[in-house]
Amino acid sequence: MGGLADMQSNAGKLTGGTRIGAFLVCLALALGSAVLADADNRIEASIVRILTHAQPGSAYAPWNSSAPQQSVGSGFIVEDGLVMTNAHVVSDTRALFLYLSGDPTPHEAKVRWVAHDCDLALIEPLEAGLLDGKPALQFGELPLLGSAVETYGYPSGGQRISSTRGVVSRVEMNLFSHSGLDYHLAVQTDAAINPGNSGGPVLQNGRVVGVAFQAATGLENVGYFIPPSVVRHFLEDVEDGNYDGYPALGATTATLENPAARSRSGMREDESGIRVDFVFPQSSADGLLEPGDVILGVDGYPVSNDGTIMEGDLRLHFGVLLDRHQVGSPLELRVLRAAERLTVKVPMQAYAPLRRYANRYDDLPRYYIYAGLVFVPLNREMLETFGEDWASVADKHLLNEYFERFMADPDRILREPVVLLRRLDHPANVSLAWYRNLLVERVNGREIHRLEDVIAAIEENRDEFHLLEFGYYKRFGVIEREAADEAHLQVLESYGVPVDRRL
Amino acid sequence: MGRPSSRPGLGKRSARFRWKRWLLFALLVGFAPGLAEARTRYEEHVVALSVTYQAWDEDRPWAKMNPATRNASAVVIAGPFLLTRAQIVANATLIQAERRGDAQTWTARVVHIDPEIDLALIQVDEAAFFEGLRPVKIAKRIPTEGSVTSVRWNARQLEISESRVSTIEVGLNRYGNVEHAFLEVRTDFASGGWAEPSFDGAKLVGLTSSQEDQRARIVPAEVLRDYVERVAEGSSTSVPRLDLLWQNNQDPSLTRYLGFEEEPRGILIREVRGSGTACSVLESRDILLELDGHEIDSIGNYLHPRYGNLRFTNLVAHRRPGEVIAARVFRDGREQEVEFELKAYPSQLRRVPWRRDNSPPPYLVAGGLVFRELDGEFLRTWGSEWASNAPRNLAIQYYLYGHSTRPDQRRAIVLSSVLPDRYNIGYHDVADMITTHVNGIPIDSVDDLVSAFAQPQTDANGEPAYHVVRFAPNSYLAELVLDARTFEEASARIADAYGLPATVRTGPPEEPDIAFDCEAP
Repeated sequence: MGGLADMQSNAGKLTGGTRIGAFLVCLALALGSAVLADADNRIEASIVRILTHAQPGSAYAPWNSSAPQQSVGSGFIVEDGLVMTNAHVVSDTRALFLYLSGDPTPHEAKVRWVAHDCDLALIEPLEAGLLDGKPALQFGELPLLGSAVETYGYPSGGQRISSTRGVVSRVEMNLFSHSGLDYHLAVQTDAAINPGNSGGPVLQNGRVVGVAFQAATGLENVGYFIPPSVVRHFLEDVEDGNYDGYPALGATTATLENPAARSRSGMREDESGIRVDFVFPQSSADGLLEPGDVILGVDGYPVSNDGTIMEGDLRLHFGVLLDRHQVGSPLELRVLRAAERLTVKVPMQAYAPLRRYANRYDDLPRYYIYAGLVFVPLNREMLETFGEDWASVADKHLLNEYFERFMADPDRILREPVVLLRRLDHPANVSLAWYRNLLVERVNGREIHRLEDVIAAIEENRDEFHLLEFGYYKRFGVIEREAADEAHLQVLESYGVPVDRRL
Repeated sequence: MGRPSSRPGLGKRSARFRWKRWLLFALLVGFAPGLAEARTRYEEHVVALSVTYQAWDEDRPWAKMNPATRNASAVVIAGPFLLTRAQIVANATLIQAERRGDAQTWTARVVHIDPEIDLALIQVDEAAFFEGLRPVKIAKRIPTEGSVTSVRWNARQLEISESRVSTIEVGLNRYGNVEHAFLEVRTDFASGGWAEPSFDGAKLVGLTSSQEDQRARIVPAEVLRDYVERVAEGSSTSVPRLDLLWQNNQDPSLTRYLGFEEEPRGILIREVRGSGTACSVLESRDILLELDGHEIDSIGNYLHPRYGNLRFTNLVAHRRPGEVIAARVFRDGREQEVEFELKAYPSQLRRVPWRRDNSPPPYLVAGGLVFRELDGEFLRTWGSEWASNAPRNLAIQYYLYGHSTRPDQRRAIVLSSVLPDRYNIGYHDVADMITTHVNGIPIDSVDDLVSAFAQPQTDANGEPAYHVVRFAPNSYLAELVLDARTFEEASARIADAYGLPATVRTGPPEEPDIAFDCEAP
C-alpha cells in the first residue's frame, strides 16, 4: 500500500509521529560505555566531538525563543576542511564547537550545509587551516549483510573516543526520525549506537560505510547508520552551492499482490507492478501519471507487485530508485495505461507542500499576531502543541484538515491552512467566544489560503469590525477594528512580543 | 432539609421560603418514621436485579462476547412494574429480580426500553413477587438542597446512604446521548451508578445514572415521570431535539455587528441541521432570545423557577414530539416571533449512530472482507478513550460527518477487517476503511452492499469478472479488487474456515418517521 510518505520518500505510510520507533542519538549526558583504549590513531585523529547549544523555536509561543539546550554529537573529517555529522546534531544551533581528538580546546564551528530530510550536515571550523594535516576519511561502499563494522564516536558525553563492533543485520528503507517524514535507505546494525554517537562514522576496512544516526526504541542493540549512497546524494546535491533536497514523485501507490487487481488493471500474467492511486497537484507526476496507471518499471528495474525491486542481492522498496535522483533529473517509468504500455519521463522536483508533515528546524515558526490573536500555519509543530500523542488527541477538525481533506479536494494541499492558535487576553479581544485551535476559513469575507491572506484581510479592512469565520463548525466572531488597532501595540508590549509577525 | 445552600442562586430563593421549609421540617420531624420504619418502606420499594447479558462482538459481528453478569437496582412503580435504566438490561439474556433480601430469585422480562432516555420497564409475571412490595410515588419535584436517601441491596442487606445534593444541571446522558437536567449528589456508596433509587422521604426522586468516586449523577423524577406516563399512554418516549449548533452571545461587539443594540442576551445560532426540529424556522446567525416563554441568557441558560440556571436545551427535554413551541429571535434587525413543531431525532437517524437500540450489528462478510455499519458500539471497542484511540478516520466520521445530510442517507460503512485467505491475498492488513462504493454503486447500508456485490464489474469481454471496493479518499488505498468468478466459492470457504454462522445480517428496515424539512446547508 502507499501513503503520503510515498510522495516524499517512497515507502511506508504517514503515521503522524506516534508510531515512529526510533530515537535520535544526540544528547549525551549520562555515563557509561567503555572507552576504547587502543584506538587506531589515524582514525581517532579524524573524528571530532561536537558540542552544540541549540535553541529551537517555540510553536505555542512562536514569538519567543526557548531555553538553549546543550548536546553532544560526533563527526568526522572529510575533504575540503569540512566535518560531516548528522543534521540533528547541529539543528537550531546558536553556538557550535568542535573538539579534536586529544585536544581540550573548543574550536568554534559553523554549519556549511544541512540536509534535514536525510539527517546529514557538513560543518567547518571558523579557524582557517585547523583541520590541515588531519587525515580526511574516505567513503566506501554499502557493506554486505553479515559483515562486521565498527562505529566511532563520543557516546554518553565521554571525552575520549569510543568504538564498538557489530555486524550489518539488515538493509532497507527506513523512516528518518529527525524529519519524521522521509524514508531513505538505512543500515541496521547491532553495534551499539548510543546518544552521542550521532554523526560518527561507521567503518569497514578503514573506509566510511555509514554515518551513525538513530537507534530503535524498545529493541535491544538495534542501531542504524546512513549508507554511502545517501551520503553521496547529499554531497552531490550541494556541489552546485545549493541544497535542494530529495525530489518527490508526487503520487501515492497501491501494491497489486491480488491477481484480480492485476487483471483488472489490464496486466498480463508476466507483468508485475503497482497502481497509482493519487497524484498530487503541481507535483513531479502531475499531468504525467494518472490514478489507475500501473507502474511496471522504474529506471529499467521491473517493479514487483509488492512495490519492491531487486538490487543485487537486496530486495528493496522501489523508492530507493527515486532516491538516486537529484532535483531536475528525469525518472523513467514504464507505465501501463488503458491497455497501452508507455514510457513516461518524469522530471523529478521537490514538493514543498509535504514539508508541513515534517519536523521543522532552523527556520523559526511563521506567525502573525493581531490584537492578541495568534495566527499560525497548520503544520506538524502546531499540532505538536497538543502533546506527544497529537496525532490522536488533537482537535478532530484540525486532524481532518491536515491528514484527510485534501485527498477529496486535492488543490487544498497547495494551500497553507491557518489556525487561530490562541489569544493573548486583552479587553479588546476577551469577549470572543472562540479563540483557540480553530481553522480560519475566512477573515472579513476573504478566503484564507495562507498566513499572508490573514494579514492582508486585516490590514486592508476599513469596516467597523473584523469578521473571523472558522471552518467545520461555523463558529464566528468579530472584533472592533479601531479598538483592536489600539490594542495591538499594547498587547505586544504587555506580553513581551518583540514583533507582530514572522513570515 | 433546611441545610443552607452553598449555591448563591438557590440561597436567595430558599431564603424566601425558609419559614415554609421550617414548618415542613417540623411536621416531618413530628411524624417522621423511625429508621426501622424507613427501612421497611424502602424494602417495599427497592428490588435487586441480577442481569446476565451478552453483548455482540463488534469486531466479529456474527458472534457474541462471553456472557457476564451485572448487579443493579430497580424500583417498584404503579402497575406494578419495575423501573430501571436501559443500560442495566441491555443485551440481557436473563434478568433475575430479588426482593426484600430473600434468597429466592424471580425471572423478569423487559416490557419497554428506550436506550436514548436510558430507561426501561421490566415485569415479573408471577404475581407473588409483588406481595409485600409497594409501588413508590414519583416525586413531582426534586430537592435543591439538603440530602436525598439513596438505597440499594448489597448482599441481601439494605444499604442506605444520605446523599448530599450538590447541583442540578443539564448534561448529556452518557448512555443515550440526549441532554436533560441531572441531580448531582455526593453519596457514601462504593462503586454505585447502577440505577440505585434515591428518595426524598417516601417519594422517588431519581435513579443513579453514573458515579465517579463519590459523585453520583441521578436521572431526576421529572424524567422518570415523563417516561412512565408516555409508556402508559402508548406514545413515543423519544425526546425532541433542536439539533442546533450555537455559541454564547456574550460579546457586545458581535451583537452590535449583528445589529442588536442591547446588552448581549440570547444565544447565537451557528447552524440548524436539516434533520432537526428547528430546521427552516431558526436560521444561522439568529439570536435566540426566548424559547417556550423563557428568556435565554447570553451563555444559553434560562431561569428554572426552582432549579435556578439551566441550559435551554432542558426546555425541550420535557416536551413531546409533535408539540408546538414558540421562540423569539432577533433576525434582520428586529425581534420576531416564530414557532415550530418539536421533532424527535432518534440516534438511529444519524449517519453514525451513538447506540444501536439493542439490535445486533448489521454486517456482510464478502470474500473474507468484513463490512459493517459504523456506529458508537463499534467505536467503543477502542475503549472509553475511543475518541483518541480509534483509527483517526473513523473518529473523524463520528465527529465531523456523523449527521445525515440527506433524508435518505443511512450509515457509514466500514471495512473493519479481512479474514485472510488466498482469495483476498494482498488485502490481509486492510482494516477500518470507510467504504463508499462497491462495483460503482454508492453504499450506505449493508443492504446496499448485498445488492452491489450481486452486480460485478465486467472484463474486456463483457463477462462479470471483478468486485471493486472503493474507499473514501485516503492516502493509503483507493480501492481493492476481488475476482468475481470465484467469489461465491471463496466466500463459502472462508465462512466455513472461520466458523461464520452466516455471512450477512441486514439491518432492520428503517423508515425514518421524521422528515427533513430542509436540506442541511
